[in-house]
Amino acid sequence: MDNITKKVEEEIKKGYIGSNHECPYHPSHFTGQDCTFCYCPFYPCNDNQLGQMIISRREKEIWACTYCLFIHRPEVAKFIMSEINRLGITTSKDPRMQDIFLETKKRFFHIGKALMILGATSDAGKSITVAAICRLLHRRGYLVSPFKSQNMSLNSKVTAKGSEIAMIQVLQSKAAGLKNPDHHMNPILLKPKGDTVSQVMVEGEPFGDYNVEDYYNKFVPGPGKEIVRKNIDFLKERYDVVVMEGAGSPAEINIYDQDIANMRAAEIADANCILVVNTEWGGSFAYAVGTVELIPEIDRKRIKGIILNNIRGDPKKIEDGARLLESIIGIPVIGIIPHIKLDLPSEDSEAFRGMHTKGNGKIIVSVIKFPRIANFTDLDPLFMEDTTVKFISNPEELKGSDVIILPGTKNTIDDLLWMRANGLETAISELKGKIPILGICGGYQMMGKYLKDPAGIEGKVPQTLEGMGFFDNITEWNEYKKKVIQDNGIMIETGEPITGYEIHMGLSTIVEKPLFEIDRYSSKENEGSVREKDLTFGTYLHGVFDKPAFRKYFLSFVKHDGKYVEIKNPRDYDELLEDNINILADGFEKGLNIEKIIDIAGVKR
Amino acid sequence: MKIIFIGTSSGAGKTTISALYCRYLYRKGIKVTPFKASNLSLNSYVTKNGKEIGMGQAFQAWASNIEPTEDMNPVLLKPSGNNTIQLILRGEPFMDISEQNPIDTKMVMEKVCESFDRLSKEYDAVVCEGSGSPVELNLMDRDLANLRMLRERSIPAILIGDIERGGVFAAIYGTWRLIPDKQKHLLKGFIINRFRGDSSILKSGIEKIEKLTGMKCLGVMPYLNLKFPEEDSMSDIGGELKGSDVRSAFMNNLDCLIEAATENGLDLDHINMIAKN
Repeated sequence: MDNITKKVEEEIKKGYIGSNHECPYHPSHFTGQDCTFCYCPFYPCNDNQLGQMIISRREKEIWACTYCLFIHRPEVAKFIMSEINRLGITTSKDPRMQDIFLETKKRFFHIGKALMILGATSDAGKSITVAAICRLLHRRGYLVSPFKSQNMSLNSKVTAKGSEIAMIQVLQSKAAGLKNPDHHMNPILLKPKGDTVSQVMVEGEPFGDYNVEDYYNKFVPGPGKEIVRKNIDFLKERYDVVVMEGAGSPAEINIYDQDIANMRAAEIADANCILVVNTEWGGSFAYAVGTVELIPEIDRKRIKGIILNNIRGDPKKIEDGARLLESIIGIPVIGIIPHIKLDLPSEDSEAFRGMHTKGNGKIIVSVIKFPRIANFTDLDPLFMEDTTVKFISNPEELKGSDVIILPGTKNTIDDLLWMRANGLETAISELKGKIPILGICGGYQMMGKYLKDPAGIEGKVPQTLEGMGFFDNITEWNEYKKKVIQDNGIMIETGEPITGYEIHMGLSTIVEKPLFEIDRYSSKENEGSVREKDLTFGTYLHGVFDKPAFRKYFLSFVKHDGKYVEIKNPRDYDELLEDNINILADGFEKGLNIEKIIDIAGVKR
Repeated sequence: MKIIFIGTSSGAGKTTISALYCRYLYRKGIKVTPFKASNLSLNSYVTKNGKEIGMGQAFQAWASNIEPTEDMNPVLLKPSGNNTIQLILRGEPFMDISEQNPIDTKMVMEKVCESFDRLSKEYDAVVCEGSGSPVELNLMDRDLANLRMLRERSIPAILIGDIERGGVFAAIYGTWRLIPDKQKHLLKGFIINRFRGDSSILKSGIEKIEKLTGMKCLGVMPYLNLKFPEEDSMSDIGGELKGSDVRSAFMNNLDCLIEAATENGLDLDHINMIAKN
């Protein structure tokens, strides 16, 4: 506490500084933040619309400001510093600080508005529309957050607090210029375990397994609605605009009342809505009319605009149709968006169906398409290099591979047994030492000596299995617990920075030469395994290819047609994403009336 | 007998379901032929007498146990780049369509109807397939395969909606809603295609659509991982049948599909009734 007081005194002495680009952590919250008060002069404000009381690591109650962005709004910092100067205040202990706090809050604090993007179908382009609108509003100086109440996805990421949320909300928060996506942005995450059962994650933590029926009949009317309300309210207190994403179609009239991802969420958030229709498959006018008219009138009134998305060919050709559509449903078409070529990860497993190869580079990367494959966006950065990534599921398809990757899986034991049964395990073992083989997460666990599941946590029946034997590591499932953590560190071989995140059940005893050194709270920890002479590599880190370091190192072992491949200065995947978000936003800006969006959202221009 | 299967979007499953119905009628001993007024596709088949038609109709003809002919697909539009489309009329290259050189819809439609009438005389049943969505508001006056066929030959129609991407109720209702009132009475029923899981969850939605539109739900088709030739240029599913035994593999697939569909409640008797009227 005294420490904070001292820091604030220094800040007051320094005066207004605005953005601090000198600081190595800048921007720690969002692009364009004001750093005048790195330490808050009002701490602890005890205002629940800004911070919250939490239990600390030492089990003491402390006031936490983790999610508060108020002090970093440029207009807020400017006003506070001018008041401090006007009154000649030198320390945060000055009783007049309380008056300044109340006055600042009165002037600048407001509950934000929510805007909801609905899609007529899955893959309508909701996710990228949310990302585009987040970026366009961010460019205009609004503090924006993405939100999706309920997301079904196999691709998740880990927040700084160790919560698991859908990968796409992390991408959208990047589009909004935010540095710390958190679990409020995707409070319910469904991870499919089979055709009908999903693991339900609530606020980033495992909540339970549900089948479709129980999910809609028990979870949704029970905790579901309250979870949505709590989190949307939380975000509205902290952001100017919350851009919400619907799920699937909002007009599934057979489950309409139980659907908390669309119109119920819009109602809870009091959000106006925009409907996005993908024109690529045809029938878009029918989808638009049908969606709008099947939604009961009380909810329909929220739909204020239509976006016709992904138009191939001349967008002008669709304009007559758009005018006719407006006259039929009485809702304006506010965007006619051309097809935009992007290198962004796709929303979810829907887009994965039917996909067999990606890219057309020289290096043939064979990724084992486990029946329960997970976090396959790990591989996306490989497309930046000269690769063709093939998703394969039988031994014959291994022919011609330059690299094999065993990716993450929802169930290590079941998928290892699947490989054992269909001959892939033997075929891969025969290639050991000949071409590089990398296991990530579940794939890494499989590469070990033993997989011990004495309580049947992973494999439903108690068993000890032999692994593929590429490493002498042993993985054990001793309790129903998930390790979820962000990792930052270095690659031991080169000292270059590396980032990633872990999401796994089961813990491994590692006896091999490690790949990485990870920074922990007060120590360092080795991670990964490598046997260079066997060309075998393994890591728990998802996102291991994002930073150039490991991509460059790993691909340096790869031969194509007998020659080592050359990797020239690989780029950081984050930079590529940033470029693509800008391309996306520029593309949308051409076909979209953003002023209209701002009006529909209901915020001040 | 005559019937037309119309999709709510590209790739809704029209080609497959038309083939399935052809096969079903053939197995019942009915002399059946496929027909699709107009195809937009690069994937074509050359008939024994050297005429070019859409691949889908060739497969449907084989499903009907007959040889494909040019009457089964009188208009084939092949995109040839540079904003031009080659018009193949009754199996022969006829012209290059461009903005400067538009198609004479009236003349082409007469040829289409001639083909349809010839098939109607020769066969006991004509199973027609629509093209794309019938209600593209910006294209409706140029559409040959859907509304114009309904108008010219009063063919009873069944809508096919694809549930895989969601929004199937909106697609079916929206399509019905945008069909001109004069043709609405021809829309007799709908089929929900590519469903995964227990279809009883759809019941209340289906009942509502039946009530709103007067169309009858004729079945929920299961999602089946069967490979079919994709004739539609816009489809992203991709046909995967290769090699010499394509035809027999396709027939086997169709036979399996007929069984799976009937098990899942596809009401073929009701479809027969619609086709007979």
